[in-house]
Amino acid sequence: MKLALKLLFRELRNGDVMTLALAMVLSVATVTGISLFIDRLQASFELQSATLLAADGVVRSSKKLPNEWQLKADESGLNTANRAWFSTMVFTEAGLQLSQVSAVTKAYPLRGEYLIDTQLFGTGFVSDRGPAAGEVWVSSRLASLLEVEIGDDIQIGEADFRVTSYLVRDPGSSASAFAIAPRAVINWQDLDKTQVIQPGSRVRYALLMAGDADLLQEMQEWVTPKLNENQQWRSPRAGGRGIGATINRAESFLLLAGTLAVVMAGVAMALASNRYVKRHLAQVAVMKTLGATPKKIASILTWQLVSIFIFGSLVGLLLGWSVQAFIAYSLEALLSTALPEPGLGKIWLGVLTGFTSLVAFCLPLMTRLLTVSPLSVLQPMGRLEGKTLLLYVFGFIGMFALMVIYTKGFLLPILMVLSILIVSVLVAGIGFVLFKLGRQFTSGATSGWQIGLAALHRRLQSNLFQLLVFTLIIMLVLILTGVRSNLISDWQSQLPEGAANHYLFNIQQEDVARLQGMMSTLEIEESDWYPMVLGRVTQINQKGADELFGKGKEKPEMMSRELNLTWTDTLGVDNEILEGVFNPLENGFSIESKAAEEANVELGDEITLLIGGREYTQKVTSIRRVDWSSMRPNFYLILPKTILSDFPTNYITSVHVANEHKQAFYQGMSDYPTVSLLNVGDLIGQIQLIIAQVSQAIQLLLGFIVASGALVLVASIRASLDERLEEGALLRTLGASKSLIQQAMLVEFGFLGVFAGFIAALAAEACLFGLQVYLFELSASFHPMLWLLGPVLGFVIVTSIGLFAGRSVLKVAPMRMLQAL
Amino acid sequence: MSDSKAIAIRTENLVHTVNTSAGDLSILKGIDMEIKEGESVAIVGASGSGKSTLLGLIAGLDVCSQGEAYIYDAALSRLDEEQRAKLRGQYVGFVFQSFHLLPSLSALENVMLPAELSGDLKAREKAEGFLKQVGLSHRVGHYPRQLSGGEQQRVAIARAFASAPKILFADEPTGNLDAETGNVISDLIFDLNRSLGTTLVMVTHDATLAKRCERQLIMSAGRLSEAE
Repeated sequence: MKLALKLLFRELRNGDVMTLALAMVLSVATVTGISLFIDRLQASFELQSATLLAADGVVRSSKKLPNEWQLKADESGLNTANRAWFSTMVFTEAGLQLSQVSAVTKAYPLRGEYLIDTQLFGTGFVSDRGPAAGEVWVSSRLASLLEVEIGDDIQIGEADFRVTSYLVRDPGSSASAFAIAPRAVINWQDLDKTQVIQPGSRVRYALLMAGDADLLQEMQEWVTPKLNENQQWRSPRAGGRGIGATINRAESFLLLAGTLAVVMAGVAMALASNRYVKRHLAQVAVMKTLGATPKKIASILTWQLVSIFIFGSLVGLLLGWSVQAFIAYSLEALLSTALPEPGLGKIWLGVLTGFTSLVAFCLPLMTRLLTVSPLSVLQPMGRLEGKTLLLYVFGFIGMFALMVIYTKGFLLPILMVLSILIVSVLVAGIGFVLFKLGRQFTSGATSGWQIGLAALHRRLQSNLFQLLVFTLIIMLVLILTGVRSNLISDWQSQLPEGAANHYLFNIQQEDVARLQGMMSTLEIEESDWYPMVLGRVTQINQKGADELFGKGKEKPEMMSRELNLTWTDTLGVDNEILEGVFNPLENGFSIESKAAEEANVELGDEITLLIGGREYTQKVTSIRRVDWSSMRPNFYLILPKTILSDFPTNYITSVHVANEHKQAFYQGMSDYPTVSLLNVGDLIGQIQLIIAQVSQAIQLLLGFIVASGALVLVASIRASLDERLEEGALLRTLGASKSLIQQAMLVEFGFLGVFAGFIAALAAEACLFGLQVYLFELSASFHPMLWLLGPVLGFVIVTSIGLFAGRSVLKVAPMRMLQAL
Repeated sequence: MSDSKAIAIRTENLVHTVNTSAGDLSILKGIDMEIKEGESVAIVGASGSGKSTLLGLIAGLDVCSQGEAYIYDAALSRLDEEQRAKLRGQYVGFVFQSFHLLPSLSALENVMLPAELSGDLKAREKAEGFLKQVGLSHRVGHYPRQLSGGEQQRVAIARAFASAPKILFADEPTGNLDAETGNVISDLIFDLNRSLGTTLVMVTHDATLAKRCERQLIMSAGRLSEAE
């Protein structure tokens, strides 16, 4: 072991072992960084979802839950709490009001906190426990409606309660953001006193649990078979399936893209190993003549590889952890939200990646040293013999296995391998033609241009390989940059500065002008005001839903529920007419394009609406695309004014309330107790956080990919370094100046970089087209910047690293080089 | 030469054939020879006559196609590579034309290497002693690239003798050196050979060097004959 380590450390000075170790570090760091970061993202999302749920797991029921369930949860070590909620009348001397009342036990909420205030319509401060017995917390809206203040008494059922706080946020009510009915919270102990719960009362009960994930899983498995149709198990993951699935997809995408960094690092490892092996064949042969047995050599190599693995894993883990911690820290500063600490459960993925890379790319090459004949010290070998196909197979199997582990499936890895194959064939074809052309246009060796272009053709195989590697790297950098800017522009267009964060509805006609005045006074931006009535689509072209879509089959959303309907003189900026003409003064419906597609409705089709017991049948005269993410009120169907004028309408609008205006806004809204207010700010915050996190993760990935690409470049140049040194020495002996050789290298690497950048731009444009159209569902756009960025990036990166890695060609004295030949 | 001396190297009808694209090529065509313990023997011959192949086979670096080569009583073709390596470590030392020092190790570490490979705990003291004997005690910490050709060969000689070999195989030991340095190196090899009682088998083109050996064997077209 001592000898193995001594030989290894002495080799550090030489670049191959260093390249090997750095490639290992990068592999481990890339995967560790991504997986830990995604873990935090997932945990952050789950924590937020758990806050909405007030627990890690909840059983909900319309009947009281069996006691043994609570006992089982308590015995298993989970923290538990209970909540019951119901609609009831709340009384004061001034009057009565229907409200949503919750009763909670002392431990509630298990996740998240209450937000309460002593000021009416205040922004709130945190409380980690609910009201004490005899107390009630009421929402500012309820307090306004009942005309009560803190210290006043209200009556719920048969019990009296003292108002002690105004409720700002109720963490357990998943519908809290959409809460329309005024709310009140009391202590669980007071529930019976109210005598509100009678046989047949509409009450919902919840048993809330929080704690160790395994214990929770056990509890879920125990309780699930016992659930009847009125009982459901809810968990943060299930609660937010949409976002959870998005994060899972993001993880697969990032890890898959990270795979390319790992593959690049692997290629660097293979190149470095190959050079290491070539340089050490003679040395190992000498050691064998000195009595080193194959077992001894194997032991030395094993210790060396183990040392590289341990070093690479430790430094890689540290680097991966540090990079994701730095990003999390910068996000924290940016979004004022601390991400949960990463779990260490995913660390194995980085270590496994390092191990697999070593076994797949390094070990097969290193084993050649075991088989070298000691006779080669007397009779130098020709070309290094090896089972090249086997080496490729090893590398391929290793990487494919990792891809399968990363993506938890075969489809994406197969697609990625096929894509790489297609790009390889494309690159080989284009590169071959370009290198040939370069050679055709030059002959002789009098200028750097001629020597450089000739070198591209002379080292055709290795240059085609380098071209492929650089193309893949630049392509990925361009794609990720494109995806990131798409994500950000998508995000910015969805949530521009000043995007609405509150919806106001149930606004009476007579309140509209006053509310507009208030918004103007408070300098609150508002969107358009739309009148709204409820109606139902009953027929399309005189056919009912059953006839159109089959009895008992799933119906399009437009025919499965009541719709909000409106009319307008002018379409909002977030509406775009795709077909037909929108004319508010003529008869005809305007339909949103996705709803039309789902219900197979086309221009000219007839739709029958049932509004307030009356039927209206009109033709579809326009189909609109709606940007639903604009945070403005929008509608599936816009009707002619003639229809809606028959009905009493109320209005809807959306407003952006800046933090500094919130208190004044809420206070102002207390004058409009019948207006419903929907705060979507928290939801926007969550989306912003996730997009910012994914965007940062892409940046992290870009860094790793560029670093591993640089390593491949260095390793591949080093692989041909001996040949370059010989050439350089010969040219200089024959009178070539250093600047001529430098010029030739510049031409060789410059062309390689520009070609790679050009092909990468072509491939990236094609990929981005697919991503834009199919993933982001945007209209396809041309990216002229890619065509500039690709070749420029290629030129700058490849030449600078190339000249750096090949600097010894200019430094080493020709005499010394020729002596060594 | 005393008959009581043990036979260090012996071959019986040693044949070696290699596969080439043009078919089988016979390099050694039935070599029979004996080298006694302590003898110094030069193998001379034209390039391509099979000298180095013979050296490789009798040193246990390769296995013959037919016949047998023995180091003391060990039949080399019956040993596997593991056993042959152990035998080399125990009985054999090498000096090569192109020195073959490990570039990442210092002069001292190169000389320590055989002893370290065999797990000898006194590797350092022994190596320092041999470097002193070859006149390089002031260059112990230098790396091969910092040494001249003659110095590198002296380190190689110290390394070869460091494992106390019974047989020293030298392949053109002065081939890469100028005449003056070559003489110094050959003096050193013969002095050590004599003082340590080592058997010396040397492949060389240099007639003067060959004549310093007790016996000269001539290799020609795969056959070996004793010089008159």
